[in-house]
Amino acid sequence: MSVVVIGLSHRTSPVEMRERFAFAEAKIPDALKSLRDSGIADEAVIVSTCNRVEIFAATPLESAKAFAELKKFLISHHACDGALGDELYSLTEPQSLHHLFKVACGLDSMVLGETEILGQLKAAYDLALQHGHTGARLNKAFQRAFNAAKHVRTHTNIQRGSVSVASVAVELAEKIFSSLGDREVLVIGAGDTSEKTARALLSRGAKSIIVANRSLDRAQALAGELGGRAVSFDDWAGEFEKVDIVISSTAAPHHILDRAKLEPLMKARRQRPLLLIDIAVPRDIDPEVNFLENVYLYNVDDLQGIAADYLKLRQEEIVRCEAIIAEKVKPLLAAKSSADFADARRLDFSHLRKSAQSAD
Amino acid sequence: MNWFTDRHFFLLAVAFYGASTVYSVFLWRKGFRRDDWVNYFLIVAGVALHTVAMFKRGLTLHSCPVNNLYEATTFLLWALGLACLVYSLLPRFKFLCAFTAPVLFTVGVFALMPSLDPPHGPKPDFSNWLRSLHAATILQSYGAFGLAAVAAGMFLMQQHNLKFHKLRAVLSLLPSIQRLELITLRLTLVGFVLFTVGLVTGQQLPRPEGKPYFSDPKVVWSALLWLVYLELIIARLFFGRSTRRFTIGVAVAFVFLLLTFWVTNLYSGLHHP
Repeated sequence: MSVVVIGLSHRTSPVEMRERFAFAEAKIPDALKSLRDSGIADEAVIVSTCNRVEIFAATPLESAKAFAELKKFLISHHACDGALGDELYSLTEPQSLHHLFKVACGLDSMVLGETEILGQLKAAYDLALQHGHTGARLNKAFQRAFNAAKHVRTHTNIQRGSVSVASVAVELAEKIFSSLGDREVLVIGAGDTSEKTARALLSRGAKSIIVANRSLDRAQALAGELGGRAVSFDDWAGEFEKVDIVISSTAAPHHILDRAKLEPLMKARRQRPLLLIDIAVPRDIDPEVNFLENVYLYNVDDLQGIAADYLKLRQEEIVRCEAIIAEKVKPLLAAKSSADFADARRLDFSHLRKSAQSAD
Repeated sequence: MNWFTDRHFFLLAVAFYGASTVYSVFLWRKGFRRDDWVNYFLIVAGVALHTVAMFKRGLTLHSCPVNNLYEATTFLLWALGLACLVYSLLPRFKFLCAFTAPVLFTVGVFALMPSLDPPHGPKPDFSNWLRSLHAATILQSYGAFGLAAVAAGMFLMQQHNLKFHKLRAVLSLLPSIQRLELITLRLTLVGFVLFTVGLVTGQQLPRPEGKPYFSDPKVVWSALLWLVYLELIIARLFFGRSTRRFTIGVAVAFVFLLLTFWVTNLYSGLHHP
């Protein structure tokens, strides 16, 4: 019995395709049951996230037949009559086990090295385990994969650093301020990235958010969502004395903050550090302000540059991660070959027993 | 083991400080990304041997070993090394050792020069507790000023990296600049209080006859140093002097202290009767 995997992911298919084949969590136990009842798999786990839909199965069938049956199952379960071609990948041992380990370690994720997938994989496995759809093969494979993911996390830098603009901004704030707990954030212009950055800062403990936008309604709506307060766009400079972090993303065609405007404001702040994050294009903040004492200005290129450098560092770690995975998969494959050998010997003995009985 | 004197122990301690300095160069080149204890334990070994050296010298003298330039310098370095070990236990402050090691090593090598440690006369110069207290508090204050200068150096490096958007600003495992500034200010305050206590106790000591007090080079130098630190503290706390200027001031003041400490000691009639 070998472990196979069939599925589609962000690497092979667009989101429109993935959403058609996604499994609702409540329906997964029934899907697993029908997989086993049909004889396609003795053990199975279904992983369904926004970036992948995969079926891991321990099947007694020959791999080509197993893949054909699993594909048929996927299409019939989702009642999809459209063609399913290159989007679907199917792997047999040892590649299937390598793939499982890579997924657990975040090496197959859209954001290289992210850890969310490990939680999703654990949840998918737990669901199958609770309903009795796993056995010796998949239990061992998944537990080893979780163990390998932990090992990779502690022994490599694959998860080091931030690879999004919002998380880089948070990291910078943590390098400037001793704690984010008593920091106030001013959001000028209620754009999507500024909202994400503000949310990231709040999730790391920022005290409160003030939103200033040309449309006061939009400012109030965003402030409501973030648990902050809205101010009129003309009044944002009045908030400078209190705030420590400013995220600016207006559609203004010129600088809304320059050195002449900021200098007196910094004096009023008694030179407390100020982190300015300018994610607007064209830029909202004059680069000259970075020459002011205690002012730290980062524009979108600076943030993306840091994120790209982090990603490069993570990519350099892939080889080390793959070496660890190869080491961790080895005993699993060795255990499987010795089990296969024992099965073969059992078959030989039964054949001999049968021959002896017929001779008697 | 009698041939193995306190100076030999100090020499070994300086060797550990040297090893720590070499390791610090690697950490520096790597951008302080690897969080490990190697540097910390090298300084622990150095300070342990350093303590033995001072203890042995103290036992020989039956008093606090601060009678000549060698002893004063080793005491200063010991205070600096010990304070570094304590502060390094704070979260993200492990790299303080990497910044302190070069100071410990270079000043340690200087202290080993034989001319700084002439043989003692039959009676130690610092035989009463007030003199020992005076010398100990003054040298501990130098240690605190030294560590403040190290924290100021860390602040200036990290601030420069953040200002100029260097990747190592976020990659390095250094504390936030606000925290570094706080540590610099606190250490300067501690040093200043100890220095003041040291100066006050020194003023109470009996003076050798015929030796002027207020025109003694070491007294004038100490008063000048006290005024420099007082100005730095008042300007920062009450007049909003920028953090950058304050930290540069703390670093420069300590460099001035290191460069002039020996000269004023040599020319002081009170300290070399």
